[in-house]
Amino acid sequence: MNVLTRGVKNALRSPLRSGAIVLMFAISIALILSMLVARSSVQAKINEVKATAGTNITIRPAGVMGGMGGGDPLTAAQLATIKSTANVASTTMTLTDQMGTTDTSLTPSLELGAFGKRQMRFESSGSSSGSTTTPSTTGSAESTETARPAPTPRTTVTGTTDVNSVTTNGGALNIISGTTIDANGNGSVALIGTTLATKNSLKVGDTFTAYGSTVTVSGIYKTDSVFQDSGIIMPLKTLQTLTSQTDVVNSVIAKVNSSDNVAAAVTSLKTSLGSAADITSEVENAQASVTSLESISSLALAGVIGAAIAGAAIVLLAMVMVVRERRREIGVMKAVGGTDGKVVGQFTIEGLTLTVIGTIIGIGLGVAVSGPMTTSLVSSQSTATSTASTTGTPTRGMGRAVPAWLTARVRPAEVLRTE
Amino acid sequence: MLQVTNVSKTFNTPGGPVHALKDVSLTVNTGEFVSIIGKSGSGKSTLLSILGALDTPSDGTITVDETSIEKLSGHAQTKYRGSKIGFVFQQYNLIPNLTAIENVMLALEFGGYPASSRFDRAAKLLESVGLDTEEQKRRPSRLSGGQQQRVSIARALANDPAYILADEPTGNLDSATGKKVFDLLHDLSRNQNTTVIVVTHDLEIAGKTDRTFTLVDGKITTK
Repeated sequence: MNVLTRGVKNALRSPLRSGAIVLMFAISIALILSMLVARSSVQAKINEVKATAGTNITIRPAGVMGGMGGGDPLTAAQLATIKSTANVASTTMTLTDQMGTTDTSLTPSLELGAFGKRQMRFESSGSSSGSTTTPSTTGSAESTETARPAPTPRTTVTGTTDVNSVTTNGGALNIISGTTIDANGNGSVALIGTTLATKNSLKVGDTFTAYGSTVTVSGIYKTDSVFQDSGIIMPLKTLQTLTSQTDVVNSVIAKVNSSDNVAAAVTSLKTSLGSAADITSEVENAQASVTSLESISSLALAGVIGAAIAGAAIVLLAMVMVVRERRREIGVMKAVGGTDGKVVGQFTIEGLTLTVIGTIIGIGLGVAVSGPMTTSLVSSQSTATSTASTTGTPTRGMGRAVPAWLTARVRPAEVLRTE
Repeated sequence: MLQVTNVSKTFNTPGGPVHALKDVSLTVNTGEFVSIIGKSGSGKSTLLSILGALDTPSDGTITVDETSIEKLSGHAQTKYRGSKIGFVFQQYNLIPNLTAIENVMLALEFGGYPASSRFDRAAKLLESVGLDTEEQKRRPSRLSGGQQQRVSIARALANDPAYILADEPTGNLDSATGKKVFDLLHDLSRNQNTTVIVVTHDLEIAGKTDRTFTLVDGKITTK
């Protein structure tokens, strides 16, 4: 029998004592594991929320939403400010316009319907399409309502520096025919939505008129949106030139380098642009959720530390008592030639044996407890089993070795005389 | 040869210093069977502890085979105990968790005996002191006092020590069993040239040893 087998056998020879110690190990490990799993799950949930919120910040001139609203466009200086804002990795600029029947040779593929008619019920007055107010037949106040021609459908045209920015799902634009355009160029080229192309029997290479200029169809795209598929996409500069709106954009999407920096970038942009722009980010909406989750994460971390300290203290004190109970045995071992190293080695192996058993049971308990605990906190799942076991094992090994080492230093005569 | 020269031992207690040994000097020759007698508290066990390097003297020297053991480091003293000394205690002091044979094998392990032959060696020693195979597998709690003391003697003999130090080896035994244990120690001295030093208060036992040292209040009065 060597020190290893003696250590293992000794660990298992007193079922009550060993069982109590193993139970303490197991509860301690289970607590640490549960807290780690809970924290890990909460952290995963935080990341999930942040990832869902994305890293994009949308900046529009104040009062502008797409082609509607009022307000002044952002200036070139403001665009430069956006690009130079800290943590802004890239920007996508967009200008949206609507072409009436006099602006283009294309026939709109969207029927106005009740919504379209309602939205356009005021737009005929003063429009460039030529309708002017007419005096009423009674010679009283002018009536604009009755003088308006029937509203006509429009074709939406988007000028952008990134054709993928128009997709609704954030992915790449699906070009089903032809090739994409150089969105940063200024060529008279366009991508046509499949619905609009069908309506006008357009193919790749065909041309159409827009704002009095001839534009070539470079490609035809398809999205999940009928509205999008009824539109035209051009390079930003081309649309700015055709509509005589040099440097004008009505939307900028600033992509931030990390989801962690979005909030800071929003704050910075709001400071630099002031009331000239409306700045929105999904992260702002998610921040409330993240803050509460971070509180839970901090509590879980405190729980891990507390459980580890409490577990280590309990185990250390238990080990001190156990080892002190066996001082006489240690004294005898030294009297018959056992060195400090042999004594410490035996008690360390005893401790490790109990630790391994306690760790296995503790992990089982922890897995059983951490599931419901995590579910009650967040719905996300995660594991931290290896962390718990690697944290627990050295603590318990030390817990056994330290008291054994301290006790092994006693002089045998002292122990044998007094006990 | 074991030579004790002017050894004193003082214990500092809350009630003041207690002088357990006062200027003790004695010599024990190789193969001798000697006894140390004295009343309770006279310093017998303290002297035995110092001879076995279980404790250190406050003053004086103990020379064993030309080595001053009081100057050895703690580790060296442990090695000295494991190789040269065999202890037999009044309370037996067997490891309760180990069987009789495992107790003997423990001493063999500490003495550096090869693992492959420890079991056979331990079994042989136990057999020589009168424990059969079945008794060898029992833990101390399932052995009688006499059997435990035999295990203690077998353990003391494990590493062929030059010296056996026995502290009241028959103190907890009935007279018949005590006689058998004493005879066992006597045989060791006679047949194996082992030096045996027995601490006892039993004058009958002391009378059967080669020489007797009498301790009174920490001083040797008779050699």
